[in-house]
Amino acid sequence: MGNASLIWGVLFLPLIGFLVQACFGGSIVKSGNDSAGKRVSGILAVLFIAVPFILGLIITKDLASLPADARFHVVTLFDWIKIQSLTIPFEVRIDTLSMTMVLIVTGLGSLIHLFATGYMAEEKEYTRFFTYLNLFIAFMLMLVLGNNLALLFIGWEGVGLCSYLLIGFWYKDLNNARAANKAFIVNRIGDWGLTLGMFAIATLLMTQLQVVPDGRFLSYDVIFSPASLAVFQANPGATTAIALLLFVGAMGKSAQFPLYIWLPDAMAGPTPVSALIHAATMVTSGIVLLNRFASIFAMSPIASAVVACIGGFTALFAALIAFGQRDIKKVLAYSTVSQLGYMFLACGSGAYWAGMFHVTTHAFFKALLFLGSGAVIHAMNHEQDMRWYGNLRKYIPITTVCMIVAWLAISGVPGLSGFFSKEAILGAAFGNELAVVNGFHYGALAGWVALAVAGLTAAYMTRMTMLTFFGGKEQWRDIPVEAEHHHEHAHEHAHEDHGPDTHEFFYTDAELAERAAPEEHHHHLDADYTPHEVSPSMWVPLAILAVLSAVGGFVLHNGHLLQHWLFPNGVPLLDAKLVPGEPEHGIMAGHNLMYASIAMAVGGMLLGYIVYRKGMPQREKNTETMLPAQVAAGNQFGYDNMMVDAAVDGGGSIADKFFFKFFDAKLIDGIVNGVGVFARGAGGLLKNIQTGYVRSYALMMLIGVVVIVAYVTSVLVHVGGVK
Amino acid sequence: MDKVNDLYNMTPPGIDWMIIMPVLVACVTGLVAFLWMSLQKERDTTPMVLTTLVGMAVSAYTAFAQINFSNASTFANMAMRDSMSSILQFSLAVICFIVVLFSDAYLKQKQIAFREFYPLTVWATAGAMIMVSTQNLLMMFIGLEVLSISLYVMAGMSRYEQKSEESAMKYFLLGAFASAFFLYGIAFIYGATGSTNLDQIAVAYATGNREMLGLLVFGTILMLIGLSFKAAFVPFHQWTPDVYQGAPTNVTAFMAAASKVAAIGALFRVLIAAAPLQSYWMPAMFWIAILTMTIPNLLALVQKDVKRVLGFSSIANAGYVLVAILAAVKSGSNNYATVCIYLVGYSLMTLGSFAVISLTAKQGKEGTSFEDLNGLWKRSPLAAGTLVIFLASLIGIPPTGGFFGKLLIFQDAVGAHLTPLAIVLAVNSVISVYYYLRIALAAMVVDDEGEKTVSAPMTPGLQSACIICATGVIAMLFLISPLQSVLHR
Repeated sequence: MGNASLIWGVLFLPLIGFLVQACFGGSIVKSGNDSAGKRVSGILAVLFIAVPFILGLIITKDLASLPADARFHVVTLFDWIKIQSLTIPFEVRIDTLSMTMVLIVTGLGSLIHLFATGYMAEEKEYTRFFTYLNLFIAFMLMLVLGNNLALLFIGWEGVGLCSYLLIGFWYKDLNNARAANKAFIVNRIGDWGLTLGMFAIATLLMTQLQVVPDGRFLSYDVIFSPASLAVFQANPGATTAIALLLFVGAMGKSAQFPLYIWLPDAMAGPTPVSALIHAATMVTSGIVLLNRFASIFAMSPIASAVVACIGGFTALFAALIAFGQRDIKKVLAYSTVSQLGYMFLACGSGAYWAGMFHVTTHAFFKALLFLGSGAVIHAMNHEQDMRWYGNLRKYIPITTVCMIVAWLAISGVPGLSGFFSKEAILGAAFGNELAVVNGFHYGALAGWVALAVAGLTAAYMTRMTMLTFFGGKEQWRDIPVEAEHHHEHAHEHAHEDHGPDTHEFFYTDAELAERAAPEEHHHHLDADYTPHEVSPSMWVPLAILAVLSAVGGFVLHNGHLLQHWLFPNGVPLLDAKLVPGEPEHGIMAGHNLMYASIAMAVGGMLLGYIVYRKGMPQREKNTETMLPAQVAAGNQFGYDNMMVDAAVDGGGSIADKFFFKFFDAKLIDGIVNGVGVFARGAGGLLKNIQTGYVRSYALMMLIGVVVIVAYVTSVLVHVGGVK
Repeated sequence: MDKVNDLYNMTPPGIDWMIIMPVLVACVTGLVAFLWMSLQKERDTTPMVLTTLVGMAVSAYTAFAQINFSNASTFANMAMRDSMSSILQFSLAVICFIVVLFSDAYLKQKQIAFREFYPLTVWATAGAMIMVSTQNLLMMFIGLEVLSISLYVMAGMSRYEQKSEESAMKYFLLGAFASAFFLYGIAFIYGATGSTNLDQIAVAYATGNREMLGLLVFGTILMLIGLSFKAAFVPFHQWTPDVYQGAPTNVTAFMAAASKVAAIGALFRVLIAAAPLQSYWMPAMFWIAILTMTIPNLLALVQKDVKRVLGFSSIANAGYVLVAILAAVKSGSNNYATVCIYLVGYSLMTLGSFAVISLTAKQGKEGTSFEDLNGLWKRSPLAAGTLVIFLASLIGIPPTGGFFGKLLIFQDAVGAHLTPLAIVLAVNSVISVYYYLRIALAAMVVDDEGEKTVSAPMTPGLQSACIICATGVIAMLFLISPLQSVLHR
């Protein structure tokens, strides 16, 4: 590994970029006239991500030149934490998994940064946006590159922070701030799991593993050493607990049921953020975690079955909800949740590489879909409601072509990237026998669900495409006047479809009033409006992503390239059955599976075409006339409201009545105030001794001397030292 | 006659100049600064400031370079070097450096035309350095006096201000009183053991005959009392708030940091030597520690002046260090690390706080009540921001140096079975939150009244002082384990 030290460039350049933006961004923008300064600042932001991408390519090339079983390298910078027998160095791990993620993060990151330079051009706080975005990349790289759980945790929390900051980027709108809070709070539940899992690993290894000379109990090379794996093997109960706890962490970050509720609301952030953080990179860190800990998950059939079932259920649940959405970004958000479910399904079935494969292809086409939707939203003056779209292919041809590629890719049309990864996942679900508990094949169950979801995905994506680009009718030309209020909240989408949120998350009435101040981003869409194609800085990334979405799957699948890259020897694991490949028996054996999934994709697309070929049916435009099932789907089947009711209102009333009114206000405050009153009283009394006269100070000293000397004398006399 | 001849024939012992280099550099720096003052007729202080800054930097470097050297002594055991003395000398030089950094602007704003300040501070630092780098009680006393006499003058240097004169007078009278105790204690010890060297005294403590026990115990107690005055332990603390409030702020900063470090460093050495007698003095020091932590904290709650609050806070902090010392002596580990780490962290946060407070002086006037800080955030975000860091550290909020210092002391105290002291420390940390937060709040409040209060403009010197201290307070996190490894050797 001649170029291993380049990894510090990969890791720290985005951080430097962040500092540059934070410290000098404002003056750069000011120094040019506004737009020129913004261009410089934007290009700087892109450069600090693009250069790490190139460095990443060099390192990856080096890595690929090594023999397959030697493709890992640990580089240590310094010892970071040393507590008794535990040492946590600042070390990064260069291996196939981390470099794959580095390339995705920096490659897609630079494309999306480039797109954002155009998309955010009108934004006043341009540099604040790129500051956060560069910081996000820095933390994300830390997450994937760190060679121990502590560094992963820094990255994990850091990306969470950036996600919070970016969701609430337009924080003056209360709903955005709420969405940001929601994301942050829900993610705490996941982090609880991750930290406990981390502690459990450390505790288990520190007590059971006798010989680790340097005390690096949280480092991957120690956790996955044969001796440690033997410890895990010998403690199946603890191993299952650890796997499940880590999965709770993954569920939070990767938006799985029941913790997915933050991701749809997260669409309140600017669209490039949704593409980068909430589709392509951060939300896949759960999959990366599971891939990293594949050897531990593979030891626990129970944990694997849980992962597979939760993944399958989330995929289905979110796909159904997507049918009830009118906001183009909401559709994509639920689609993301659903596709993430797919990835977990792959991991639960033991095909970890297939999970990563889908991470990669999904990063291509979902980033494209989001950026494309961004281009559409940009073209439509920040209107996100698909009811007012239609026939846009006439006005924004480049975007349309790119979006069509993405639509076909995600729907699973043979030959495009989504097809290959979906196929790999379905094959693994039916074929692998990892997630088998008490003789029941949970993997196959999830596989059936996934097959159904394949059809649903094709259908709702067709719906979105038809409503936006086809349908013959340019719906925005007949926006009724009473719908005008929607435009008042150009960036407020969080609760549009399920009524106003009455939960006062953390704001007082006064703050609510203050935040209800007039919306800055007011845009107008009327009958005479003509959408316009976006600038090259925005469509060039779209075109690149379209090419990747089209051919990426084939290239990576050809000759099992990605699979052998990530897991060169299959997964060399103990006695768990992890032979990847096509199912050998049952109804889905051989080519049947492929036929079935192609049939589902085509069927879904046909269904979507038939229903939505003429744009949105009239009955779907109003909640009153919608099908009840669709209304329910739009409301997430009441799940989100229920959760919020239970947690915010239910938890709130417990917190208010018991913890606040009784425990805090009466008991704690009583004690605290009592102590305070006492302390101040005592202070007031003591103050009288502090007279300010030297003579009284000297007297006090003398009294002190006399008391001490008297005491010592008494001791001396007592022990008989002085006669 | 033979004896005399022997004396003549003896080859003089080699002198290791390196050991006294930090002190030597400081003394020479003071002289050079003094010469500059006499040569320059006009009121320009720049050459003096630069001289002292460079000199203290060199002195700090010579101390720092010796941190890893082996223990040694020279000048017939009058001066010695171990890792603690090097670290404390280094800290003292840095303290002086930082004080000088922000003094120039302050003295000009306050219109104190007293250029002797620069040589005096440097000499005071030299005295303090001597105190922490000797095992000889007389040298310790000389260091103490060099430090104290310089400080008496410095405290009174604002000659047109009654408060300043009063503080100098009080400090001098009570200081003389305390020095007498210290000297009297040395006399007792010398009488009992025939030596003024702590190493030999320690042997006498451990093996001495019972006839001498009374002398030894009284001598020790009297020395402890003398040093307790310098370190401001209760009940020998009462001068502190008055003197801190009255003295010019830069002098107060120097006193709170350097004088504490020196007195506590010396006290630590005396107590380590006196460990065999701890059954006599430990209970007394135990109660002194409890009182020193508690009483100033209670008093600080009802103060209206920021400098006074910080004065009480410095007493309480001395109490926390005393806990560390007692724990180190009682457990027999003689663990220098905790004491040194806390002293370094404490010096930085105290210096930083006083440096920010010095901003309230403008055009000959200075107001140091809470209200005078109002609006500081608006006038100088850097000053207010770093002030919050210092206060956070004084409170003990992670990840500041103050937190780790208190944590280490707490651990040591529990480990040495001094749990009551650990609990008192924790309770007092909680009490102190109240008044520290009051300062922070005062600095952050922006109201219309706040607009009227004035403060001096930030100068590069003050800015760098704030930044150095704030960086140090945060960087303590990374310094702790290297310091521990150096001091545990």
